[in-house]
Amino acid sequence: MEKQRGFKVLLVDDEDIFREATARQLTVRGFVVLTADCGKAALEQVQNDPPEVVVLDQEMPGMHGSETFVAIKKINPLIEVIMLTGNTSVDNAIELMQLGTFDYLMKPININELLYKIEDAYTRKQLNEKQRQDASL
Amino acid sequence: MRVWDTSHLLDTIPANRTDSEQVYDSTDSQANLARIRQHFKQLQTRLILGLVLGFLLPNAFLSAHFHFQFTHTLKKSAALNLAAVAESQKNTLDLYLQERVVNLYNLFHSKDFSLTPTAAQMENHLFHLKQFNDAFVDVGFFDTKGVQIGYAGPYPELLGKDYSQEAWYQGLLKENKNYLISDIYQGFRKVPHFTIATRQLFDGSPYVIRATLDPDKLYIFLRIISQGKEVESTLVNRQGQYQVVDPGRRPLSGKSEYIPSFTSPSGVEEIERHQQPLLVAYAWLKETPWALLAIQPATVAQAEMYRSRWILSISLITIGLVISTIIFFTIRRLVDNARRMAEKGQQLQEMLSHASKLASIGELAAGVAHEINNPLAIIMATSGVIRDMLNPEFDLDHSPEAICKELSVIDTAATRAKGITRKLQDMGKNRVPCSIACDLNALVDEVVSRLKKVEFKAKHIEVVTHYHPDLPNILAESDPLRQVFGNILINAGDAITDKGTITISTELQEGMVSVTIADTGKGIASKDLKNIFNPFFTTKGGGKGTGLGLSIAASIVKYLGGTIKVNSIPGTGSSFTVLLPVNEALKNHKG
Repeated sequence: MEKQRGFKVLLVDDEDIFREATARQLTVRGFVVLTADCGKAALEQVQNDPPEVVVLDQEMPGMHGSETFVAIKKINPLIEVIMLTGNTSVDNAIELMQLGTFDYLMKPININELLYKIEDAYTRKQLNEKQRQDASL
Repeated sequence: MRVWDTSHLLDTIPANRTDSEQVYDSTDSQANLARIRQHFKQLQTRLILGLVLGFLLPNAFLSAHFHFQFTHTLKKSAALNLAAVAESQKNTLDLYLQERVVNLYNLFHSKDFSLTPTAAQMENHLFHLKQFNDAFVDVGFFDTKGVQIGYAGPYPELLGKDYSQEAWYQGLLKENKNYLISDIYQGFRKVPHFTIATRQLFDGSPYVIRATLDPDKLYIFLRIISQGKEVESTLVNRQGQYQVVDPGRRPLSGKSEYIPSFTSPSGVEEIERHQQPLLVAYAWLKETPWALLAIQPATVAQAEMYRSRWILSISLITIGLVISTIIFFTIRRLVDNARRMAEKGQQLQEMLSHASKLASIGELAAGVAHEINNPLAIIMATSGVIRDMLNPEFDLDHSPEAICKELSVIDTAATRAKGITRKLQDMGKNRVPCSIACDLNALVDEVVSRLKKVEFKAKHIEVVTHYHPDLPNILAESDPLRQVFGNILINAGDAITDKGTITISTELQEGMVSVTIADTGKGIASKDLKNIFNPFFTTKGGGKGTGLGLSIAASIVKYLGGTIKVNSIPGTGSSFTVLLPVNEALKNHKG
């Protein structure tokens, strides 16, 4: 039996089949998976039930992944975001990192790679929260 | 409302380009450079010829004009100069002869004068005359009958000679003159000489004193008063007989080949002697019917003119050569610079074009990668799910039915990827021209009927048609046209969320057939309007659109020589107008 990680991951992608398949893979690996099919739905989710880590698709109709990322960080700066992209250019990767995303993954993704990145992102979020608490004390 | 015309956008769509246009061609580049070089070579030749001729021709005309004016003026000046010399010598000679006449005439009034002079008295007269001028040879006194009754000089045998029949004596008495200067003659002494005779009346009877002059002495005097370089001065009578001449050049008894005009007191003429041009100035004397001739070789008289002409010619040739050389080298340098710039420009343009093509290919590749990656991601994720189902650790339902369900998801994603690659192939396909007459009304109606059955029915979309009854056929393949109108109609249907109207109208306007498809859907945002014909651009989420439909439609319409125009108001709807050219032969043919 896979260990229960117990923290919430929000998966945002307009591709229903991909989103559901990935969510199922993450769920069986012990994550509490929340899903959203667009940027607007993701922001509602962040406000109502904030996750620890967001896995966010970059190319989405309506609100673009980058715009959604900026909006999430405005609501909760401590949430770490991992971007998913179908664009293979280095410029795009640099742009995403400069925005302040934790990391990015290129589609098609390897589930284990995504899993490690989510765990690393969660660890950093915890460190950041601790630093903030220490600072407030 | 935003309007967007595809005519300029289509050029960026790779599908519209032939293979040869897609690839950087070094042969074309070399040919372009060769054309540029040829162009600049012709330009250089034209500029050099134009400037050289433009400068040299007017200069040559001006030089020729001034040269002729200058020559004319200098010739005139040389002639006037020689005429002045002749006039001056004539005046001096006139004065000289007047003085001699006066010398002789004064003898009548001398204290020694006698009507029966002795030899001593005559010698005394001669002595006095020679004191005035050594040209006097002898002196004689003549009685009323013309007999020389007194004489002094080197010819004593002339004493007692009767001169009454001599021409000079008769001329003096008959013409009732007071004095006379004869032409040269030999007379009784048989030696050439001149006679100056004066007449005086005593008691009503004429007595004459005459003296003779040595022609050689007169010539020496003429030489003394001569002016000008290489000017030969002679005296001739009306018959052209030399009276005074350079004994070294021609005999005194000779006759001049030039006889001046009697009508004018002076003048200048150009003659030729022994093939040598000569300038002759003449002036008729007052005291005797002799003309003074001043003869000068034309080359000497006009030497200044020839010298100036030579300097002018050399200067012009030198200036012409110098300026032509400067023009040649300056233009060559300028044209070389311009050619190098043009070559660089051409190379840059080719590089830019090549880079642009590479960028288009890059953009296309990125689009392809993105679109293919999405179904691949689904495939990988679903295969991961199946792997999880088969993993006993997760204890999931791994029944054949459950696995089959997941595999069908993989099939769907793979089919989607295949659809993308097929559409890409369609886009890049080289179309072959065909000459099939196509009835657009029927074709659009057929596409609409197919869509009504499924796509439009589900959303309760009403289709309204306004077909032009006499729409001419166009020459086109029907399948690509079905694809054009099918893609636009599918987009129109997708733009309508639920319930709406699609209005289709066909028209004939300015030699083009137009098909307008207007929907009452959500419209296109103005920021997206310029991108809708770009490959892989889509506003449809959830893997519903590949972004290739309008791009393919634009490619086909462009191939058929038409355009697509788009009007859109966000929130109200969009209108796509496909304009296609009508073949003249089919204009009156209704399919």
